[in-house]
Amino acid sequence: MMNSFYYKGKKIVVNTLIHLFLISVAITCLYPLLWMIVSSLKTQDMIFKDISLIPHQFRLENYVLAWKEGGFGGNFFNSIIYTVSVVFGIVIISSMAAYAFSRLRFAGSKFLFIMFMAAMMIPIPGSFVALYVLLNKLHLRNTPIGYILCMINVGLSTSIFLLKTFFDKMPKELEDAARIDGCSKIGIWWHVALPLAKPVLAVVIVFNALAVWNEYILALIIFDNRKFMPLQVALQSFQGEFVTNYPLLMAGLTITALPIILVYLFMQKYIIKGVTQGAVVG
Amino acid sequence: MWFKNILLGISILFSALGCSGQKVDSKPTITIWHWMTDRDATFQDLAKKYETLTGVKVNFELYAPSDAYSQKIRAAAQGINLPDVFGILGEKRDFASFIKAGHILDLTSYMEANNNGWKNSFFPKALAVNEFAAGNSYGINPGTYGVPVDIMTIQMVYNKKLFTQLGLNPSRPPKTLQEFLDIGPKIQAAGMQGLVSGWGEVWMIDCLANDYAFNIMGKDKVMATIRGQVPYTDPDWVKVFSIFKQMQDSGVLAKGLVTMINKSAEQLFANEKAVFAFNGSWCVNVYKGMNPNLEYGAILPPQASDKYPMSIWGGAGSSFMVNARSKNKEEAIKFLVWLTGQDQQAYLSRATNNLPANKNCLAKIPEVLAQFARGMEYATHPNVWGVSEFSLVIEAFDRGIQSIIIGEKTPEQVADEVQKVKERELNKRRAK
Repeated sequence: MMNSFYYKGKKIVVNTLIHLFLISVAITCLYPLLWMIVSSLKTQDMIFKDISLIPHQFRLENYVLAWKEGGFGGNFFNSIIYTVSVVFGIVIISSMAAYAFSRLRFAGSKFLFIMFMAAMMIPIPGSFVALYVLLNKLHLRNTPIGYILCMINVGLSTSIFLLKTFFDKMPKELEDAARIDGCSKIGIWWHVALPLAKPVLAVVIVFNALAVWNEYILALIIFDNRKFMPLQVALQSFQGEFVTNYPLLMAGLTITALPIILVYLFMQKYIIKGVTQGAVVG
Repeated sequence: MWFKNILLGISILFSALGCSGQKVDSKPTITIWHWMTDRDATFQDLAKKYETLTGVKVNFELYAPSDAYSQKIRAAAQGINLPDVFGILGEKRDFASFIKAGHILDLTSYMEANNNGWKNSFFPKALAVNEFAAGNSYGINPGTYGVPVDIMTIQMVYNKKLFTQLGLNPSRPPKTLQEFLDIGPKIQAAGMQGLVSGWGEVWMIDCLANDYAFNIMGKDKVMATIRGQVPYTDPDWVKVFSIFKQMQDSGVLAKGLVTMINKSAEQLFANEKAVFAFNGSWCVNVYKGMNPNLEYGAILPPQASDKYPMSIWGGAGSSFMVNARSKNKEEAIKFLVWLTGQDQQAYLSRATNNLPANKNCLAKIPEVLAQFARGMEYATHPNVWGVSEFSLVIEAFDRGIQSIIIGEKTPEQVADEVQKVKERELNKRRAK
């Protein structure tokens, strides 16, 4: 009887502590989002005077202003095009490359793989000037295709690493069965490897979609023409050297965050599966 | 088949995205790259006015934030893709490297044309940032290589409403250090906050301390100290350190000042919780956003001595350079002459709350901006001193003042410590 009380009490205490910890972590994650939404509904001076989380007046027109002044219309479309193209490119190229590194035996495969992994160590801003000069020589500067190719290149190393780790663990018997059924190498990659890699692909898609969606420095360097700029560049127009237009910036950030939150929610179950299957661990 | 379709789809998409048709336009078009988000809308307005006047189209292209802009400028310089007009953010050596690489046009002859007409329209100290003197250490031909668009000074501001509440005359702010210190007990008695500033970001302490150093011992002695000819233990330097102790003892400094970031200081002053602030002229724009009804005035820091004039940090805020390789350089210069004319400068200043680089338009701008701009007469900046202090000495100097304010060290102790760091650094340099 005493033991039962002891274990029940212990369970309640442990659960309470765990929940308190998780609630505090959740609050620290959600509070900035909440502040962003609340601030997007205030005026500039109210942000500095009124720190309450419920604004006295809801200025929904901040969203309209942010959309118009930031020129979000075209930029929003650009960001969608860039994100879809880059993620698609990364998924196709990295899954093929990872499958080849994992299954095919060819001269220099290890060296090539090490080179890809080494590319992960290079900080992206360090390569901006080199990328600019390269694109300039290829006449791809100030073109969306140049930007898309650069961003595919940026995302390849990590994606190849994640997918190769998964393909290495994949049972070879499945491929043998497909081969007996008459599948070519490409057929095995498409019909066997890719469907099995769905959880890892979900991780690859979300990580890269986030990276492309939030990227603006490379875009700013490569593009001279504002009509090619992604959404994040438009957000910078609310942030001055000394003065920041917080209501419009926060409204813009809310608009910007929504699609990527939706992508995450849509792919949540695959991501969790991917992470728990060890997709993101070495 | 599906694979071929995908490849075909990608090719079509990429081809479509890769196409960027170029329009042929007979009118000259000047392209200007800048990073000034808060000035972009006004620049666009001015560009439209200029096009109406002359038929020359001016494209102001904004690339913010400033870090990304700097990277873009460097990358464009490497690819020889710089626009007709651009600005350089960074130190004078970066500016010099662009000139050496042939990216920047020497504007001296344009400045000096018509009896120095263009040159004389600017505050001389604003132009100084864009000038290279004869025998400069960068090996650049002496001349003017940039056009200041606006200026910046760092001064004190005071809240007129709180002044009245303290029983002080809002049209007579303190002129001497003693008058300033006498306000301390009144601020304490009224339960208000005194001087606020971003002294957590130590360069602002350095700025005020140097203002007082110039006032107490004059520029020559400050420069001699930097050169290592006068020690920081000199009685004049101890006086400079003592000013911070006097301010703290009188209660004229706000609580928590030594760890305060400038954004918090701006918020306190804008929300009428602090009587004084030490801030740059950019604060006019910041305060307007935080509290449009704030009534305040700008003043020089109250002087501690009659021996030398009070000095403040200031100079060109933003400058534009003309691309030496641009085929539109003559048109670009004409536009810059127009942009820095009285009316355009006054319009830019009124619309953006920045100080004009043209000294002749002060009557056309709001009084608080004119007060800040008049400070240019007393402006100096480490970038134009020609000598620079060791960074470790600056750190010991600024941290020492923080220690004085929190009562951890005496001015004499700090002077000793700074001098020790200075001697150590001098010895290191001699040993090289």
